[in-house]
Amino acid sequence: MIVGIDPRKVIVCRCENVTLADVLNAIESGLDNLEVLKRKLRIGMGQCQGQTCLLLVAGILARKTGKSFDEVLIPRNRPPISPVKVKYFIGDER
Amino acid sequence: MKTDVLIIGGGVTGLFTAVSLLEQGCRNIVIIEKSYIGSGGTFRCATGIRASFTSREHVNVMKRAIDLWPEYARKLGFLYRRDGYLWVLTRERDVEFFKQVVEFHHSLGVPSRMISPEEVREIVPSINTNGILAAVYDPLAGKAQVFNAVLNAVIHLKRNNINVYEGMRALKISGEGSRIVVETNKGRVEADKVIVAAGKDSANLLKGLGVELPIHNLAKHVLITEAFKPVIKPLIIDWSSSSYILQVFHGNIYIGSDIPEKYDEPAVNKYMFLEKAAKVWTRYFPWLGEVYVLRYWTGYYDMTPDHHPIIGPLEENENILVAAGFSGHGFMMAPAVAEALTQYILGGKPTIPEFENLKPDRFKKGKLIKEIAVFG
Repeated sequence: MIVGIDPRKVIVCRCENVTLADVLNAIESGLDNLEVLKRKLRIGMGQCQGQTCLLLVAGILARKTGKSFDEVLIPRNRPPISPVKVKYFIGDER
Repeated sequence: MKTDVLIIGGGVTGLFTAVSLLEQGCRNIVIIEKSYIGSGGTFRCATGIRASFTSREHVNVMKRAIDLWPEYARKLGFLYRRDGYLWVLTRERDVEFFKQVVEFHHSLGVPSRMISPEEVREIVPSINTNGILAAVYDPLAGKAQVFNAVLNAVIHLKRNNINVYEGMRALKISGEGSRIVVETNKGRVEADKVIVAAGKDSANLLKGLGVELPIHNLAKHVLITEAFKPVIKPLIIDWSSSSYILQVFHGNIYIGSDIPEKYDEPAVNKYMFLEKAAKVWTRYFPWLGEVYVLRYWTGYYDMTPDHHPIIGPLEENENILVAAGFSGHGFMMAPAVAEALTQYILGGKPTIPEFENLKPDRFKKGKLIKEIAVFG
């Protein structure tokens, strides 16, 4: 980790306001894969659907666990790719 | 690897059972999960919890679960709240049917009641009640935080030196003398007792022992929106369209809606679901049209012929216990199931006698349980 920076003040996920300290603590508690970290911390579950945080957390996790980046980056993208208003699914008759 | 109790399946049932066993002093437990914790039905579920069912078995098991949920919430540190369930009824025949259901609930001490559209608006101020003839309200029902419930259970278990292995898949179960041997993709595990809590995979695993569990996967579809401050308190079911909506603790609005599906067909995303979910719920909540959908996912109900779970020791080998086939209600009953399995493991009988009616041999013996309504 970067020396001299307080991990409580580093934001990893802007949508859900998750800090680096949150990520490190969760990994420390034994939650050592991205699927589980996602659900514990809500990374990847906000408005941007993980466009920033998932890669960052995958990197942190790879460094902490000694696994390769490919091994840790697994969460599945759910549709829609970007958020869509409910009304656009209603179809023709309304 | 050797252990006293091996639990196959890292969903809410398996993990809560481990928590319950630990509480009773059983410390030598191993949990194996083929994918990641909660990856089956658990993390996909709506998190609703109710005792308002239409069989004595479901009602009494769920009532016990509702007694236990606050204890689990305190111990593990997650939110559980009795925000109620609301069935909105739009057809005369449904109102007549639910009058009988409410009477049945009262006979077993479940405090549901028939309410008017005006009362519906008092409970959910932003709902459009046009078309609603009446509703059934169950104030004892509620919801819990699934991620924290399950992941805090994992953290609690790990702190107590109980190993939870992810990516470890059970391949074959066999009984050798008084011990049970489970072959996995990562070696062999020997245990005195094995709990199979692996959804439909439970049936595949036990087939090798000559045990037939009639479990079929039924695809289900749900979506979740962006998060808001609390706006919908109870879980609401639109009975005529088999659809439901709830606002989870984090604030997102979660919608499920049935579309035609066949047993054991793969769950794939279908536009038809999004269209139906949007149509049904924008009618009740016109403001919902402006809300963004964040995610759409599918999952399975592991269905049994009588829509009730299979719980208890095998007749063929009492050291192998099953907890599967929850038919859409596994999360809500987990604390009660964990207690019952613990009681079986420790050589006793479940406190709630109805568990005995849910044993695996009931299908062979033709002692199926009848329920009028499966939902949520």
